[in-house]
Amino acid sequence: MSTLNEITSEADFSAQLNALPPSALLVLYFHTPWAAPCAHMRTVLATLASQYPVTTPAAIAFLSINAEELPDISEEYDVSAVPYTVLARNGSILESVSGTDAAKVRDAVERHAGRASNNAAAAAAAASIPPALTAVPRDNAPAMPATQAPLGAASASSTTTPALTPEQNKEALFARLAQLVKAAPVMLFMKGTPSVPQCGFSRQLVGILRENSIKYGFFNILADEDVRQGLKEFADWPTFPQLWVKGELVGGLDIVKEELENDPSFMAEFSVNRAA
Amino acid sequence: MASNTPVEDLIREKIAAEFNPSTLIIRNDSHLHAHHNAMRGSTSTETHFHVTITSPAFQSKMQPARHRMVYALLKEEMSREGGIHALQLRTRTPEEEQRDKERLQNP
Repeated sequence: MSTLNEITSEADFSAQLNALPPSALLVLYFHTPWAAPCAHMRTVLATLASQYPVTTPAAIAFLSINAEELPDISEEYDVSAVPYTVLARNGSILESVSGTDAAKVRDAVERHAGRASNNAAAAAAAASIPPALTAVPRDNAPAMPATQAPLGAASASSTTTPALTPEQNKEALFARLAQLVKAAPVMLFMKGTPSVPQCGFSRQLVGILRENSIKYGFFNILADEDVRQGLKEFADWPTFPQLWVKGELVGGLDIVKEELENDPSFMAEFSVNRAA
Repeated sequence: MASNTPVEDLIREKIAAEFNPSTLIIRNDSHLHAHHNAMRGSTSTETHFHVTITSPAFQSKMQPARHRMVYALLKEEMSREGGIHALQLRTRTPEEEQRDKERLQNP
């Protein structure tokens, strides 16, 4: 049973790669600790890893990389948003999946590594997503960034907190949002995900960020109705997508386009292509 | 005779009254989105708009603040069921409009 191994340094990364045969499939999972969707994805990948036996020589390796602490590795694999999963073999990138589409990542791994062990695969297929997520329950602690509701999972958000009054609920939600908008220096609240946008304006904004090589965190507001409605009030802004920079609302697609037109170096400080 | 573009008329009326704009262009983009998931079940032909407004009222205000002024004006139409689903805005002062014109002429 393979495990998802956390890489601690560039030296560690090199060492692990060197220890693997060139034919091994590398599943690289890029994450940052502050982005809640990454916790979800971690569970997906750890579960996936457990379904592949450890062999000698190793046929597959699951490596977890903190994208912020190891920026050079992230740059090497063109990581522009987290969570981000890259499949590589023999020095070349086979495929990459941006975001939290568990089915897509599983599909990609299976295509390149062969199906996971039968029982596990069947069970996983039945659940359509790895087993009960206890990771990142949606409680009211303000320090926690919001959870992206997993697709179709059973008991996703734990509602074990004591009943709160509507005012307290709203206060808690706003506290949560205040943290969420600062979850990354550049935060995109969109419909869908960067790999599967569910709205033309969201898709365009993702495209613009990609074109400018901007590093950003994202949140799928279609997966969380509380955030969707709450953020409209919190931001005093009725529409999505919403781009926030350093905890301040910049605006939607139209504003971002215009800012870039007026000043091509707008947001350049967040680009991964900063001139040395 | 009743207009068959009541929402557009209302947008025009409200913006004109509030901003006394030197330029006001309202573009109905609803037909571009009619087939989208979000629009399923909708019978309205006035859901998506792109509005260009030039007014000195926007002076010394950043873009988000300007857009909020317009959103506040159209709050009711944007929040009601079947109302305005998307509103793209271009909000400029007369000086900015002039600057953009010159930029186009001198690329």
